[in-house]
Amino acid sequence: MTSPILTKQRASMRTRVRPHLRLWVRVACLIAAILCLWPVHARLLPLVGAISPFVAVASLIAVRAFHAVLVLGLIVTLVVLFRHRFFCRWMCPTGLCMDGASNLGRRLKRKPWQGVSTGRWLLALTLGGALIGCPLFLWLDPLALFSGLFTAAAFPHDLAAWFSAFIFAALLIACILSPNLWCGGLCPSGALQDILAHLSRSVRSFRIKNTCHADTGHPVARRTLIGVVLGLGGATIVRGVGGARPRPLRPPGAIDEPTFTSLCTRCGNCLRACPYGIIERDTSGPWTSLLTPTLTFENDYCRQDCTRCTEVCPNGAIARMPLDAKPNAKIGLPRVDMRICLLGEDRECSACRRWCPYEAIRYIFCEENYTLVPVIDPARCNGCGACQAACPTDPLKAIQVLPYD
Amino acid sequence: MNNHISRRDYLRMMGLSGLSVGAAAVFGESVPLQYVGESGFQSSVLATNKIQPDRFPAVLANGQVIQPQRPLPILTETDVLVVGGGPAGVAAAIAARRAGANVTIVERYGHFGGLWTGGLVLLILGHIAKGPKQVCQGIGEEMMRRLEKMDRAIINRKPGQNPTVDAEAVKYLMVEMIEEAGVNVFLHCWGVDAIMQGDAVRGAVFESKSGRQAILAKVVVDATGDGDIFAAAGAAFEHRSHNIGLVSRVGNLDRVDPTKAPDADKPTRMGSATPIAGVNWVNLTGPEVDGLDLATLTRMEMNHRKFIWNKMQKTRSVPGYENVYLVETAPQLGVRITRILNGLNTVTLDSITQATRFADVVGVGGASSAKHGEWQIPYGALVPQKIDNVLAAGRCISCDIRMADLVRLIPNCFVIGQAAGVAGAVAARDRCAPRNADVAEIQKILRQQEVYLG
Repeated sequence: MTSPILTKQRASMRTRVRPHLRLWVRVACLIAAILCLWPVHARLLPLVGAISPFVAVASLIAVRAFHAVLVLGLIVTLVVLFRHRFFCRWMCPTGLCMDGASNLGRRLKRKPWQGVSTGRWLLALTLGGALIGCPLFLWLDPLALFSGLFTAAAFPHDLAAWFSAFIFAALLIACILSPNLWCGGLCPSGALQDILAHLSRSVRSFRIKNTCHADTGHPVARRTLIGVVLGLGGATIVRGVGGARPRPLRPPGAIDEPTFTSLCTRCGNCLRACPYGIIERDTSGPWTSLLTPTLTFENDYCRQDCTRCTEVCPNGAIARMPLDAKPNAKIGLPRVDMRICLLGEDRECSACRRWCPYEAIRYIFCEENYTLVPVIDPARCNGCGACQAACPTDPLKAIQVLPYD
Repeated sequence: MNNHISRRDYLRMMGLSGLSVGAAAVFGESVPLQYVGESGFQSSVLATNKIQPDRFPAVLANGQVIQPQRPLPILTETDVLVVGGGPAGVAAAIAARRAGANVTIVERYGHFGGLWTGGLVLLILGHIAKGPKQVCQGIGEEMMRRLEKMDRAIINRKPGQNPTVDAEAVKYLMVEMIEEAGVNVFLHCWGVDAIMQGDAVRGAVFESKSGRQAILAKVVVDATGDGDIFAAAGAAFEHRSHNIGLVSRVGNLDRVDPTKAPDADKPTRMGSATPIAGVNWVNLTGPEVDGLDLATLTRMEMNHRKFIWNKMQKTRSVPGYENVYLVETAPQLGVRITRILNGLNTVTLDSITQATRFADVVGVGGASSAKHGEWQIPYGALVPQKIDNVLAAGRCISCDIRMADLVRLIPNCFVIGQAAGVAGAVAARDRCAPRNADVAEIQKILRQQEVYLG
């Protein structure tokens, strides 16, 4: 048996050591996260996003299927059940940045933020939406925002790639003006940890003291319930918006359309990982699909021997896929505009046929026009875009991969 | 200069010098009248009541037509024999001669240039690669440079662009370059067979107005495009069908008034500009058929000719286009791909995608736009797998089906031809089979000839 005095001493030492230790661990996590994201390593890239408990839980509910990439996040979720806000206090790189901004704000004598947790509403709405496959605010995950910073760095000239960076910067400023706004008030991941800790405490105290704290009349539970219902409603609207148009050109492996648009955290990993630079952020679709990855084949195409984007997605929005499944992962279908096709003008060209990796293009002689017409075999074609990338017409390509109608 | 000739003088000259000189005098050309040898009506009779000597006509016996065995006259002996005078053949002949070999070139038509001139494929397409970089150097570049110095011979010769030439200028230039190099020439001479000794080719047989004759050679460069000679020698090949078209030229386009024509009726497919003002060359792709089948070739000629004529009538019926006319259809049908050699090595699409580098590179090919990278041509793609002493040059070298459309382009044929010519010269000099030729030496000479090897 140790004496109570000794225990007290140890405890006081812990409190003195821990703030420093915690800071070092957080800095180490920040550096590790940067190292995972900055020089693009396909194996490390998804780790940062995947470690988030919010992404893991919401994705698991939304997809109702287990992706190996979710393991990390679920482990962290288990830990936070027993150690309240363990993830925030020890790991989260975004949290560290926001804390830094908050400290600056405190030094500038700004009043720390105190108010209702918007994060809990965001969480409830997201989980409610996830029930029907549309986790609404997954893109507000702190690690997704953090990953997104590097997308801006990778495509500095693309305004759409700056989305996460803009939000991140806005939040930093907000934290200076109103310290602790993000971690304490907005972060849905923090809110998830609060709820989980609350649940866990309730269960444990119920077991130990045999008294019931899980009162359904409790304001937290009631608000959560309202949020979930609202999330269901919101998700229904989102699905309606997405359902009307044909599925745009998604990276192969992307899951079904309305789920994809909200499951995608907009972290931009796929954009950065694509060796051929054919993934861009959607800016032309409906608002629900805003900034999700779509493919463009103006300069290059989706190679047969590459599944890189499927390997870096942090939550399986682009599901992993074996290489031999690629010919059947249909992206879209090419259409030919004979008004600009060189063959229609009888000019010497066989670019699309030459570069089609699946031998899906034939040139048929049309007796009536006395010209060749490219004909695409939809059974062989997977919409990889090799034909469009190779097409020499300028500025508009005569052959373009378009969504399936 | 006094061009006036009295009637008596004229009649005397007619008697002496024949009609041709007389005609020159009538048109008042300032050509000095010179005595061109005995060519009067009497002296032009070379023999009377003659029976063709050395006749070995085919014989119809038992329902079979039999060609009797017969010895062939040997027209000449040479180090390197180039069969076919298209872009590849001409480049091969000049390159081999410059590499020190004794060279003979034979051509089935009356001019050089093959599909470039006779086929009216006037566009130099495929000499550039990503960069844009011109990969077709050596003789091809020399031709383009010389055409540039000629009057109305080439247009659009700018970096990254595909130039267009005038066929007559090219025909003239090729004669000039072949003569400068000192190549032995036989035109109107159709290569029909290989001369074999075991698995080695010893020359080729030709059909011409002088009858069937043989030319013996240490190395034969098969620049027929169709691979006629290596096929006759027994080398394995792939038989492919491809689109066969017929190019034409249209004139008076500078007298068109497009404002008169309603937009919907404006004629399309009017071709692309040539160095001759108001004249366009008009490509025709045509259906994919077998270019080795006589009935098919005949059908293509006739169908295409009908189409081109009818299209021209339609064009002329559009207001503003009344003055447009059909200058000519190409004398030579646009056969693209027929036989492809099964070579020791093969040019594949990977050559571009993976930028394959071959130790035995003898040339670098380009594409039709500066979009794709360059691709190396290995010497092995010119050498048959079994048969010796014959090298393929031009569109019939060993290549996969996706690359055939790049290999066959004119500048790439220059590059391949030049490589085959130098390789033939080196093999002939060293008295070895081309497959055993000293590749380092071939590359050295090609570099001396300013060929780009990557």
